[in-house]
Amino acid sequence: MVLVLAIGDLHIPHRAADLPPKFKSMLVPGKIQHIICTGNLCIKEVHDYLKSLCPDLHITHGEYDEDSRYPETKTLSIGQFKLGICHGHQVIPWGDLDSLAMLQRQLDVDILVTGHTHQFKAYKHEGGVVINPGSATGAYSSFTYDVNPSFVLMDIDGLRVVVYVYELIDGEVKVDKIDFKKTATTRSSN
Amino acid sequence: MSPAAIERPMLESACSKSSDESRRSFANLRGVQWRTDLGILPPLSSSTIDDLRKVTADSRRRYACLRRHLLVDPHLPKDGSNSPNLAIDNPLSQNPDSTWGRFFRNAELEKTVDQDLSRLYPEHGNYFQSTGCQGMLRRILLLWCLRHPEYGYRQGMHELLAPLLYVLHVDVERLSEVRKEYEDHFTDKFDGLSFQENDLRYNFDFKKYLDSMEDEIGSHGNATKVRSLDELDPEIQTIVLLSDAYGAEGELGIVLSEKFMEHDAYCMFDALMNGAHGAVAMADFFSPSPVGGSHSGLPPVIEASAALYHLLSVVDSSLHSHLVELGVEPQYFALRWLRVLFGREFSLENLLLIWDEIFAADKNKLEKGAGDDTGSTFGIFSSPQGALISAFAVSMILYLRSSLLSTENATICLQRLLKFPENIDLRKLIGKAKSLQALALGPSISSSSPRCGGAYNHSKSMVVRSHTLPSDSISPKTPLNMVPDSYWEEKWRVLHKAAEQRNGSSGKQNPTPKKGWTEKVRLSLSRTASDPSPAKAGCGNDHKPSVRRRLLEDLSQELGLDEDTEKAGCDEVSGQKDHICKVVEVENQDGVNNDFTCVAEERCLSGIAGSEENSSLFSDPSSPLSGANNHENDSEKSSVASNSSIDETDDHPEANHEDTTLPVSHLPNNATLNSGDNNEATGKSLAVPKERKLLSGKFQWFWKFGRSNDGEETSEKGNGALDVTKSANDAGSQSSTVCSSVDGSCYSSTTGDLVDQNMMGSLRNLGHSMLEHIQVIESVFQQDRVQVGSSDNFSKNVLVGKGQVTAMTALKELRKISNLLSEM
Repeated sequence: MVLVLAIGDLHIPHRAADLPPKFKSMLVPGKIQHIICTGNLCIKEVHDYLKSLCPDLHITHGEYDEDSRYPETKTLSIGQFKLGICHGHQVIPWGDLDSLAMLQRQLDVDILVTGHTHQFKAYKHEGGVVINPGSATGAYSSFTYDVNPSFVLMDIDGLRVVVYVYELIDGEVKVDKIDFKKTATTRSSN
Repeated sequence: MSPAAIERPMLESACSKSSDESRRSFANLRGVQWRTDLGILPPLSSSTIDDLRKVTADSRRRYACLRRHLLVDPHLPKDGSNSPNLAIDNPLSQNPDSTWGRFFRNAELEKTVDQDLSRLYPEHGNYFQSTGCQGMLRRILLLWCLRHPEYGYRQGMHELLAPLLYVLHVDVERLSEVRKEYEDHFTDKFDGLSFQENDLRYNFDFKKYLDSMEDEIGSHGNATKVRSLDELDPEIQTIVLLSDAYGAEGELGIVLSEKFMEHDAYCMFDALMNGAHGAVAMADFFSPSPVGGSHSGLPPVIEASAALYHLLSVVDSSLHSHLVELGVEPQYFALRWLRVLFGREFSLENLLLIWDEIFAADKNKLEKGAGDDTGSTFGIFSSPQGALISAFAVSMILYLRSSLLSTENATICLQRLLKFPENIDLRKLIGKAKSLQALALGPSISSSSPRCGGAYNHSKSMVVRSHTLPSDSISPKTPLNMVPDSYWEEKWRVLHKAAEQRNGSSGKQNPTPKKGWTEKVRLSLSRTASDPSPAKAGCGNDHKPSVRRRLLEDLSQELGLDEDTEKAGCDEVSGQKDHICKVVEVENQDGVNNDFTCVAEERCLSGIAGSEENSSLFSDPSSPLSGANNHENDSEKSSVASNSSIDETDDHPEANHEDTTLPVSHLPNNATLNSGDNNEATGKSLAVPKERKLLSGKFQWFWKFGRSNDGEETSEKGNGALDVTKSANDAGSQSSTVCSSVDGSCYSSTTGDLVDQNMMGSLRNLGHSMLEHIQVIESVFQQDRVQVGSSDNFSKNVLVGKGQVTAMTALKELRKISNLLSEM
C-alpha cells in the first residue's frame, strides 16, 4: 500500500510559473510515501516544494536543471518492484520504445520512469512497465504541440501496481487507472 | 437475582443456592460472568445453554458485519461495482466520501490509537504487547470509534477495553485446561479411537493401533474415568456444553472461543460504554459536553466528581472541607478514576475483583420519591451501580484520610490521591464501598443542597453557571435555620461572629472586619435588599463590587512591585483563598488576577482582615505580583490584619501622622518637580485628618509605584532611588497600616451619612491621585531628559526604557481610575 508519485518536466520558472492550482490542491503532504522526479524542475524552490510533500525524493538530472548534482539515472526498490528513473533526453530517439527498453534492460528494473517528451505514456513492454508522467505544468515542448499537464501516482501493493494518471484537460482533472501485475517469476542474473 | 441475594463467590462464600448456582457455575469464568452482567448474555438461571449460544452467535455476527463494513480496503471496489468513479476514488481525491479518504482517516485514527496501545500495561507486556492482542485491541477501538463518531477516540478507552479482553483470554485458557483434563468430552471419538490420529490416509499401521489402544486403556486407568456428562462437576459440565462444537449455532456458538475473542470483547466494550440495560454509560465520562437530562449543565464526569465530593461531605465533612480548602477539586483525580473505572489505581488482579463488584451491581434506575421535587442533581446516584462507583471512590479517599489530612499542600494531596498505595486490603475497601452505596442511595443525599456546585466549575464555558449556582444554592427558599447552610455561609457566619467578639477586645491576631468604601456601598445595598445575611449580599451581589474591585486590582497588577515582606505561613488562609478564587472567577483567567480577586473575595466572605477594598488595594500591590504569590498576599493580609487590629487603639492619629511623614519625606528625595506634589501632600495634611490620611495613603501608594518602577534596578538616577525603593518597601507594610488605620478611623464612625461623605472624599481622592499620576508621568519624562543629558549611553537606554514603562503604567492607572469614576 505504498503510494509513489511520479512527476517531472515542470520547467519552472523558464516555461511555466507554477503547477496548476487544481494539481496543487491535490498534492498534500502525508499521503505519499515516495516521489520520483524525472528532472527539469528546474530551480531549487521546486525541489523544496516537492520535498515538503514527501521527504523521500528521488530526482534525476534533466538538461535544464540548475542543480548539477542530480544523477543521470537512479534505481530504487519499493516493495516487490524495482524502479528506474532517467530523464530521457539521453535516450535517443526521444521517446522511442526500443531505446527505452534498452535502457530498462541496462538498469534491470521492472518499472522505468522517464520524461522529456511532455507526453503521458504508460505501457507494458517486454516484461516491464514504462511510464512517462508527462509534464506536470504542461510546459512547452520542442517535441509536440499537444501538451496537457499530467502526473502519475503509483499504488504499489505486493506484486500489483495500480497506476493512476491525473491529467488536466480543459481545466478539469481527469483520472485514469491502469493495473499492472508483476509475474512472480524469479529473474536469473546473468 | 435480587440485589440482596448477590454475594460474590470470589470474595465471600456463597449463601443462597437458587440465585447463586448459576453464578457459582461461572465462578471461574469471568468472561461469561461479565458478559452476563453487562447484559450481553442472558443469565443462565433463566435460559438454557442453547439460548446462551444463540445470543453469543448473534452478537458475533453483528461484529463481523460491522468489521466488514467499516474496515476499508481501497483496492476492493466499493459496493461490488467494477468500475468505480475514478474522479472520486483516486488516492489523492479531496472527496471525503471516497474510499481512499476514509482509508486515510482510518489510518490517522489508527495512529492515535497505537500511541496509547504501545504503552498499555507494560508490566503484563507478554500478553498485552503481543501483536495478536494489540491487533485485536486496535481493531476493536477503531471500529467502536467509527461507529460512534460523536465520541471519537479518547485516551483511556483502551484501558477500559484491555481488562475485558484479558478476562476472555483467561477464560479461554481455562477452557483449554479443562479440555486437556476431560478431553474425552471434547474430542470426537469414533470406535474408541481419536479421529485426529487416524486420518484419511489409510495406512493402517497395526502396531501403532495396538499401541494407541494400550495407551488409551492405560490412561483410562490412571486418569479420571470417563464419565458421562451428567456426572461431571456442574461447572465443568457447563464449560463442556458451552464449548461443544455441535451445540446450537455450531462453532459460532461456542461461548468460550479463542477465534471469536475479538467479537466478544467488542460486545463487552460496547455494552460497557453505552451503558446497556441501565448501567452507567462510561462513554458519557468521555464526552466534554453535558448530557441531555442532566440537572446541572456540566459534563458528566465533572458532575460525577461533584457527586463524589458531595457524598464525601455527607460521610466525612472534615476531610471534605479540608480538601475543599486546599483547593483540591474532585475532577483532578476523579477524572482518571472514573474514566478508566479505577483501572490505573489498582493492579490488574485487584481491578478484576473491583469490576466484578461493579458489574454485578444492580443497574435499575431508582424511582424518584413523590416528595423529592428537586431530585438528586447527580445523575450518577440514580442507580445502585452508579452509587457503588461513587461509593468506591469515596472509600478510596477515606482510605487515604490520615495522609490527606496531614498535609496542607494541595499538590501533595493530589499526589497522594493519584498514587494509590499498592498493598491494600481490597475486601475492606469494597465492604466500605457497599455501606456507602446504601448511604448514597438514601433519601438524605438528594435533599441536602449540593454544596457550592459552582465551586467545581473551572472551565470558561461554565463561568456563567458558576455564578448562578452559588446564588441558587445560597438563596434559600426556607428560613436559614431550617436548611443546612451552604458551606461558605456557615464559614462566614462563624468567622464573623468570632470577629465581632474580638471587636470589643483588642490586640488579638485575628483581625476584625473593617469596611472600606466599597464594602460600605455593598452594605448599603444589602440594607435595601431583603436578604438578611450580609454573607449573601457578599456572595450574591458579587457582580458590581467585584467588577470594580477587579479593576482596582488590575491596577495593582500592572505595576509590578518587588516586595520583600516577611512570609507568614498562612497556608490555610491561602487555601481558602484559592477556593474562593474559583468561586468568583469570572472573566479572569490570569492566575495573578485570580489571586487578587480571591484575596478580595475571601475578605468579603471570611471576614479575615475585613473586606476592605482599600486595604486590599494597598496591601496587594505592595506584595510581589510574580506568579501566584499566595504567601505574600497572606503576609500582607496578616500584616494588615495585625496592623489593623493594633490600630484600633486610640493611637491612630499619632501613628498615622508618623506614617504619613515617612512617605512624605520620600518626596524630597526625588526630582524637584515632585516638590509640587509634596506641597500638595503637606497641604492636605492640614486638612481633615481622615481625608488627608486617605488621600496621602492613596497618593503614597500611587507614588510608590511610580518610584519603585524606576527604582527597581540599581538605578543610575542618582536620586537615592535605592533609598526610596527600600523605604518604599519598608513603608509597604506601613502604607497598609496607614490605609487600614484610615479605614479604621472611617469605620469607627459608621453611619449612613458618613458613607456618603466618604464616597465624596474618595472621589476627590481619586481625582487628586489622577492629577498626581499625570505629574508622575511628567516627572518621569523630565527626569529622562535630565538623565539622558548627564549619563552615558548605557544608562540612557535603561532609563528611557524605565521611563517609558513608568509612563505606560501611569497611563494605564489613569485609565482605570477613569473607568472607576465613570462607574460611580
